[in-house]
Amino acid sequence: MEQVAFYGFSALAIISALFILLTRNLMYAAFGLFLALVGVAALYVLAGADFLAITQLLVYVGGILVLLIFGIMLTRPADERPDAATRPNRIEVVNHRRFWGILVAVVLFGVFLYTILAANFTLIGDVLISRSTIRTLGVELMTSHLLPFEIAGILLLVALIGAAYLAMNRNPSA
Amino acid sequence: MYPIILLSVLGIVVLFLGFMKSKNILLPATLLFLALALGSNFIDWNQGPLLYFYGMFSVTNLTLAFNAIVLISAFLIVAMTRGFQDDEEAQPAEYYGIMLFSLVGAIMIIGYEHLIIFFVGIEILSVAMYILTGSDKRNLRSNEASLKYFLMGAFATGIMLFGIALLYGATGAFSLTGIRGFVSTAAGAQSYILYAGLLLLLIGMLFKVSAAPFHFWTPDVYDGAPSIFTTFMSTIVKTAGFAAIFRLLSHSFAGIYDFWYITLAVITVLTLFVGNVVAVYQDSFKRMMAYSSISHAGYLLIALTALTAQTERSILFYSMAYSVATISAFGVLMLIAKEKSLDGRPNESYDAFNGLAKQNPLLAFVLTVSMLSLAGIPLTAGFWGKFFVFSSAADRGLIWMLVVAVLMSAVGIYYYFRVVIASYMKEGNTGKIRVAPFYQIVLVAATVITILFGLAPGFFEQLL
Repeated sequence: MEQVAFYGFSALAIISALFILLTRNLMYAAFGLFLALVGVAALYVLAGADFLAITQLLVYVGGILVLLIFGIMLTRPADERPDAATRPNRIEVVNHRRFWGILVAVVLFGVFLYTILAANFTLIGDVLISRSTIRTLGVELMTSHLLPFEIAGILLLVALIGAAYLAMNRNPSA
Repeated sequence: MYPIILLSVLGIVVLFLGFMKSKNILLPATLLFLALALGSNFIDWNQGPLLYFYGMFSVTNLTLAFNAIVLISAFLIVAMTRGFQDDEEAQPAEYYGIMLFSLVGAIMIIGYEHLIIFFVGIEILSVAMYILTGSDKRNLRSNEASLKYFLMGAFATGIMLFGIALLYGATGAFSLTGIRGFVSTAAGAQSYILYAGLLLLLIGMLFKVSAAPFHFWTPDVYDGAPSIFTTFMSTIVKTAGFAAIFRLLSHSFAGIYDFWYITLAVITVLTLFVGNVVAVYQDSFKRMMAYSSISHAGYLLIALTALTAQTERSILFYSMAYSVATISAFGVLMLIAKEKSLDGRPNESYDAFNGLAKQNPLLAFVLTVSMLSLAGIPLTAGFWGKFFVFSSAADRGLIWMLVVAVLMSAVGIYYYFRVVIASYMKEGNTGKIRVAPFYQIVLVAATVITILFGLAPGFFEQLL
């Protein structure tokens, strides 16, 4: 049963990832990304990382993807043609160096494949995780991992100041 | 340890000081805060190796010395920001706040013991740099540089994170000591996942210190960013980045030296070659300094590739010498570029320096000393920096690499001297440039440090 679920969700993630790669419509690619992210979230559940799976759904599927679709909506190029509103969002490609791209991808894939096949994976910790990991995560975050947790606040503060500063319009006439 | 907490809090204080009507207090306050952080840095001096926060952060005399270099460089750079307040639209509180926060990141990656600390630290440092690069919003080149840096930096971060994940998969540990424990076992020395993780992590780190072939962002970003932040980037990020790489390699991966030294050696030679040869063809002084920073990354990489007992000291000395010389070079550049501005934009070409020495002997002297130091001419700190680096490579028997490095330093002399020749021998009509007293102190201090350590490098050894 677990095997079937694993292969099913893996196939979902891989096929939708390939779909993102091959489709020429930007909107379809965004929806393909949705399926790929859901597939990965399901794999997290199967690996026993329930908190990670929920975060994946909340942050990526819920947040990033909506942001992405807004991005596509707001950055549509000005199109004067009468049927512009119903035209598909084509991905315009200027650079066509396919050969090198595919070569790099295949070599990288080969290296990773070899690495993973040659690796002798051992299970770390308990094999059967039946309890939720959220409690442990919360305790760890507030004790042994408190420093990175707090300092991440500085990172967010810097990003916030930067975003506000760069987005601020100092020259109203322009 | 203490500077992390202090700078995080004081950065927020600086942001609040920005609410006040008068902006005049910001610069002295920031300088005071940096001095406080520097003082607090030495509380742990000679307390022996300490581990803080459940073994996540390590403090040794070496990391404290790196912290001191970073903080002193930041102090000198912030002291040169005088004049920002003249600009009606400038937001000095934000700049100073972000600079202080970025130092938190720099100190974290100097003393990390746990890879999470490293990751958060390098992200703070990088995000701050993306913002500072694009802070000149009316300059199209600055916007382009910021976007380029951000996109490439985000990819580098992704690669680095992938590397950390693979390392965890191979070793089951995030801490440097845990990884070393695994590497020293027989299975660890043969683990391909470990190798792949190390390589990916190294690629991400080498991107941040602009080693070839991950250097393509450097010229555009250094050129497009406001000069003061270019100085910040090329000194502080580089010093902290090399401290981090050294920590990783010496602490965790010394056991598999035979695996990674070949990769690093190839990258070193490539970096030396690209940095020095392309720098020759530049017409802009600032762009030349960008390539020169790539070439200095190459010299620092020699010390890393050698990884002998002296490596930590040679990296420390070299980054100190390089930082001080870079600060004074950019200090002079900023003054002249402003004086000779074309169409409201600073003029950063070599021609701007023509005839500098006639009316401004002090500036020309500061510039000359910093160029001599960067080129590695004796009686400057840069010479001893190169000497220590080369001698550690000779100890390891990397003679072929030394030959390349010496050839490349000879190339370096050509492009460093171009600006000296322009300022002393070419005709030009540079008037007397008024230098603010604060600014003058920074330039003189940087020059004195360069000459002092050039005359007595042993003094530095005693400090440690």
